[in-house]
Amino acid sequence: MTKIIYILKKEFLVMGRDVHALAVLFVMPVAFILIMSLAMRDLFETDAVKQIKILVVDQDKGDQSKAFVEMLAKLGTFAFHHMDDGIGIDLIRHKMFQDDFKFALVVEKGFSLAEPQMILLVKPSVNRQTYTILKNTFAANLAKARIAYQLKGQEEMLDYAGIDIDKLMQPADTLIETRYVSKGKLKFKVPTSVQQSVPAWLVFSMFFVVIPLSNTFIAERNYGTLTRLQSMNISTGFLLAGKLLPFFIVNLIQVVLMILVGVFLVPLLGGDALTMGDSYGGLLLITTAVSFCSISFALLVASVAKTTEHATTIGGVFNIILGALGGIMIPKFVMPDFMQTLSVLSPMSWGLEGFLDIFLRNGNVLDVMKESLLLLLFGLVMFSATAFIIRKKLSL
Amino acid sequence: MIEINHLYKSYGKQLVLEDINLSIQKGVITGLLGPNGAGKTTLVSVLIGIMARDHGEIVIDGLNLDHSLSEIQTICSIVPQNLAIYPMLSAYENLEYFGGLQGLKGQTLKARIEYCSEVASLQSFLSKRVHKFSGGMKRRLNLAIGLLNNPRILYLDEPTVGVDTQSRNYILETIKKINREEGTTIIYTSHYMEEIEQVSDMIAIIDEGRLILNGPKQAILKQDFKVSIRVCELSNALLDRFKGIKAARVLDDCILLTKDDNFNDNLIEIFSALKSHAVEVVDFDSRDKNLETLFLKLTRKSLRDA
Repeated sequence: MTKIIYILKKEFLVMGRDVHALAVLFVMPVAFILIMSLAMRDLFETDAVKQIKILVVDQDKGDQSKAFVEMLAKLGTFAFHHMDDGIGIDLIRHKMFQDDFKFALVVEKGFSLAEPQMILLVKPSVNRQTYTILKNTFAANLAKARIAYQLKGQEEMLDYAGIDIDKLMQPADTLIETRYVSKGKLKFKVPTSVQQSVPAWLVFSMFFVVIPLSNTFIAERNYGTLTRLQSMNISTGFLLAGKLLPFFIVNLIQVVLMILVGVFLVPLLGGDALTMGDSYGGLLLITTAVSFCSISFALLVASVAKTTEHATTIGGVFNIILGALGGIMIPKFVMPDFMQTLSVLSPMSWGLEGFLDIFLRNGNVLDVMKESLLLLLFGLVMFSATAFIIRKKLSL
Repeated sequence: MIEINHLYKSYGKQLVLEDINLSIQKGVITGLLGPNGAGKTTLVSVLIGIMARDHGEIVIDGLNLDHSLSEIQTICSIVPQNLAIYPMLSAYENLEYFGGLQGLKGQTLKARIEYCSEVASLQSFLSKRVHKFSGGMKRRLNLAIGLLNNPRILYLDEPTVGVDTQSRNYILETIKKINREEGTTIIYTSHYMEEIEQVSDMIAIIDEGRLILNGPKQAILKQDFKVSIRVCELSNALLDRFKGIKAARVLDDCILLTKDDNFNDNLIEIFSALKSHAVEVVDFDSRDKNLETLFLKLTRKSLRDA
């Protein structure tokens, strides 16, 4: 038992004095969480705080065109910037690129008299979904504006018929109530960027133990320290356990630190606060599983790599690929279907799903069991392979 | 103390130790001399139990290596050729870590750290981080760690590589002192001739995995091989014939003849035998030899360049 204490002390002293290791393990993920939580805030925003900027040129200047634009403005989704009605398409186009407008709406002359005519100018960078939603919104509101115009002056008759015109004309979206579903039945949570970023970059940083662990391990092997330890009757199993335990503690510290960053630091910088799930048992289970898998991966890299540079390259490249594939860098829900299917190949995806179960879907131990077992099993395979390779290399 | 019988070790198809037979007495310093790649480190690794062997029996302090590895390892220690230390830790932290892993704790550990650091003359630098040490200080720390468990057998694998003359002399004197005061059996590998001469009681010369010469230092140094005759190839019949000449020794294709009362007769007999078997003489040398030239003669290699 005391031997483990000496191993822990040594590992923490070595790691604590390695600025690069500390940066990779703690500073990098904190920076990623802060940057990505703030950068992706609008992607998750559900309250339409971020408005779409649209240039408006009302060449008609009639009652109907004014009513139509006002109706759109009331939705709160759009921020209209009005331009002089005499301005031509070329100048509008110039203004769009100069002031970064993605859309411009030109209400043509005659809108209020005959068939309403409009031109929607769209920058090529706008994705098809956004354009379609915008066009449908305009079309729906145009229809509504025409009905409103036709009903104008007939209020008495409608009142007589028992039809409330205000109710009839109220925005349709207020009639739809949104409810987010979660695995836990008691609560629901609004998905925010921080709920996505903390688990994602937490998993990523946990896998990055590959850099300090492999560097230490390879240095020990190449400089004869492992030989010395072997000559002291220290078994391969003990040597590996001597890596597993300290880096498991490092992973636990990472989990606590990243949660604290999500709960306290992100809100200070204008982001949403991370809200914890209810299942601490589930959190511990998925943390343990991700940790075992990431450390086993690090040990495997350390055992096959010949130099620290070799290990850093292998570990770094694999982590980035697994991260990209597993929904760390880009949330899985924005990936096309085939990429979402491919993402199940990445252990980081299993870890991320587990943490999202806890943080976002209020899952419990049972909910993270599948991902945890997969991670533990995969970790066990890598750990066994490492033990085999090390025993072979050390000729025991 | 150490008995090695018919030891074989190979890496894949390459035989690196071939039929090693060696007996090392308790309390002596044995210099294991050989060029780089001769098999010295492999032999030490097998003896310390960190490398498997193909064949052969090894008995250390009456214990068979196959059955009592853990007991043997508690009485042995190795100072590896590489600096098996942590540069980011202080000297004290290094000593504490390795001592702790050997089961030392509390006051016992502190006392051993104090003693070993004193032996290695590192008392004033215990709190200093090792990456700031000079090469000589690192080597001394490497040695101090090897002494922590108060070993009865100490394997020193090229312990002076890359250090200046002063540090080298200090390390060599320290090794002799440990042997003298603690009675530690020491196996010292090196390709430095002068180190082996300075520190050893016994000398074993190893080349290409074979033990080619072994005996007390004084006897080996006094061996005055007056003549060495190198030939193309020796048949078994000739080998049997030369076995009858007491002053002659055959190593591969080299016949070494020591000067004694029958020197002339022996020389004539050897040449007559070679002539009768039509064996071509490749080289003939009759100069006096020290260990360095003897080694060159035996292996046809320089110690440092091989």
